[in-house]
Amino acid sequence: MSILIDTTTRVLVMGATGAEGSFWTGHMMAMGTHVIAAVTPGKEGERIGDLPVFHSVRRAIDARGQADAAMLFVPPRFTKDAVFECLDAGIRLIVTAADGIPLHDALQIRAASRERGCMVVGGNTSGIISPGKAMLGMFPYWIERVYKPGTIGVMTRSGSLTNEVTSMVVRAGFGVSTLAGVGGDPVPGMRFAEVLRLFEQDSETEAVVMIGELGGTMEEEVADQLASGAFTKPLVAFIGGRHAPEGKRMGHAGAITSGGTGGARYKMERLRAAGALVAERASQTGTLLAQALHR
Amino acid sequence: MKLHEFQAKALFREYGIPVPRGELAESAEEAGSIAQRIGMPVVIKAQVLRGGRGKAGLVRRAASPAEAIDAARAILASDWKVRRVLVEQALEYERELYLSLSPDPVAGAHLILASAEGGVEIEDMARSAPEKIQRVRVESMRGLMPWQARHIAFSLGLKTETARKVAHIIEQLYALYAGRDAELAEINPLFLLPDGSLVAGDAKVAIDDNALFRHPEFSQDSADFDSDIAREAAAEGIPYLQFDGDISLMCAGAGLTTAVYDLVVDFGGTVANYLEFGGPNYRKSVRAMELCIRNAPKVILIVTFGTIARADVMAEGIVEAIGRLRPACPIVTCIRGTGEDKAHEILRAAGLQPLTDTEEAVRIAVALARQAADREAGETGASHGGRA
Repeated sequence: MSILIDTTTRVLVMGATGAEGSFWTGHMMAMGTHVIAAVTPGKEGERIGDLPVFHSVRRAIDARGQADAAMLFVPPRFTKDAVFECLDAGIRLIVTAADGIPLHDALQIRAASRERGCMVVGGNTSGIISPGKAMLGMFPYWIERVYKPGTIGVMTRSGSLTNEVTSMVVRAGFGVSTLAGVGGDPVPGMRFAEVLRLFEQDSETEAVVMIGELGGTMEEEVADQLASGAFTKPLVAFIGGRHAPEGKRMGHAGAITSGGTGGARYKMERLRAAGALVAERASQTGTLLAQALHR
Repeated sequence: MKLHEFQAKALFREYGIPVPRGELAESAEEAGSIAQRIGMPVVIKAQVLRGGRGKAGLVRRAASPAEAIDAARAILASDWKVRRVLVEQALEYERELYLSLSPDPVAGAHLILASAEGGVEIEDMARSAPEKIQRVRVESMRGLMPWQARHIAFSLGLKTETARKVAHIIEQLYALYAGRDAELAEINPLFLLPDGSLVAGDAKVAIDDNALFRHPEFSQDSADFDSDIAREAAAEGIPYLQFDGDISLMCAGAGLTTAVYDLVVDFGGTVANYLEFGGPNYRKSVRAMELCIRNAPKVILIVTFGTIARADVMAEGIVEAIGRLRPACPIVTCIRGTGEDKAHEILRAAGLQPLTDTEEAVRIAVALARQAADREAGETGASHGGRA
């Protein structure tokens, strides 16, 4: 099993006619993802390979049937509109890759998804992949030493670091059930705590690796979950930015400490105190995982 | 994008939030004549984007124009690269209040914080006396309701007339925050004067960089960058942070670059700069290396694990950059991800050793930087040569 997506998930892609969108839509399909339609206003009637393009999400669904999930390769300034178009069409899982969604738009996206009980993953994310099954987003799934199917859930705020850490997980003899990128923005649509809830319920996920970093409170929320007993499987965490200077924004918009809160060290302490195995360095992730699973 | 106090106060004026009389000066003499014009006493405030200005001696009171000139001169000559000071009337006040608006990422809402005891850091008060802070959540889809502003204002223990004024200021502050896509709008302190009027003593506003396309009225001027290199990097859209150490980071991906930064410090090295040439910038190797070289680093450390950023394209760019720029320092490469086999061939052909383990790469970079430092120390006797 996996969380969020598998081979049966019916996927619609917005912005699939752009250069990057079409490249990754092609890879999503090549990997086995069940993509049913693409949406680009003004381009209905065109095709991307075998995939038909529609003017709107409603028109796509009318022609092809309901979609379970949507992948958005839409520029940041149009992302709010695209997310609401999907929400209004009853799509329950939306992944948005856009890097640079305005903060106030992101807050409204978060509020609307909560109100409707839907999941919006991102922005500023590579997406979600269940190796060997399906992918919503952009992952080099062909690199075997990173994207090997298995029983470890991975959730992350970073794309580049995920390749690094996940390769350690695989090197230690494990594979990945689902990898979910919540994204590097200060207001992600879906938070670590919500992904963790799904991993808790997934019978084939044995343990979870969390790749966090400085800034925000998502890692602290996970520590609370562990402490309260809401998550019962082993959790290995790596937190970037231990030496980041106070007040500097380290690359990701969300990666900044403010007023003494959100520091990587503090997050690590909170997680350790709650029972997580916390890696000082990315290279220790695999070893800690083996230790947690007694292998 | 953080606004300077004078810019934030100009916005306050636009939204009808009262601010003290004041003007901006670029020289001590100018500060003196402004002080004369607006009347004594005055406060001279450095216009720099850092907290703790008071403790750093960057806010000074003056009782006469001559004192104002001295105060402005001292501030302008300080180490903080102050270019401008705000000369403002100094107000006698009865009490200091606190008001702010900021995002609530968990709820997808906005958060109003208010306190009848302002003038201190709100984070400190949140720890020591959280009961003194009023918190009200504003739904992002609906916006601030007038009753919410009234409810907060009347919960602060103020006189009715004062509370009404505070409610109005909350509404105006929200209008600014929402209308200008702010990520923070804060008044600390909000002075309550003996005559019952309210005036914003300080103003902190930060505009969301991602929403600047909706607000062409804001532009980041050159004074707001740590260095010329940082400004040029920003113009290219290359994420860059200036530090003053030995190892220049030329990496791809925010998370990975941050992790490499940690490792450099762990292994005893120092960072000259943080630069990301991944994502949309992965074809900009030459420009990226050019920016790194300007710091005269002892080592350039290149670490990537790219998806969209193809390793082979980056390797080609790096080889081209080395050919064109002929950097004086060694280059350590650890390039992985999409197209890595081809990337390693390209690097080997150019005489570079393609590493595949991040920690090993960082260890080697730190060792090379140390060797270079030892060599320099040997050449200049024991004295440490400063860097231009």
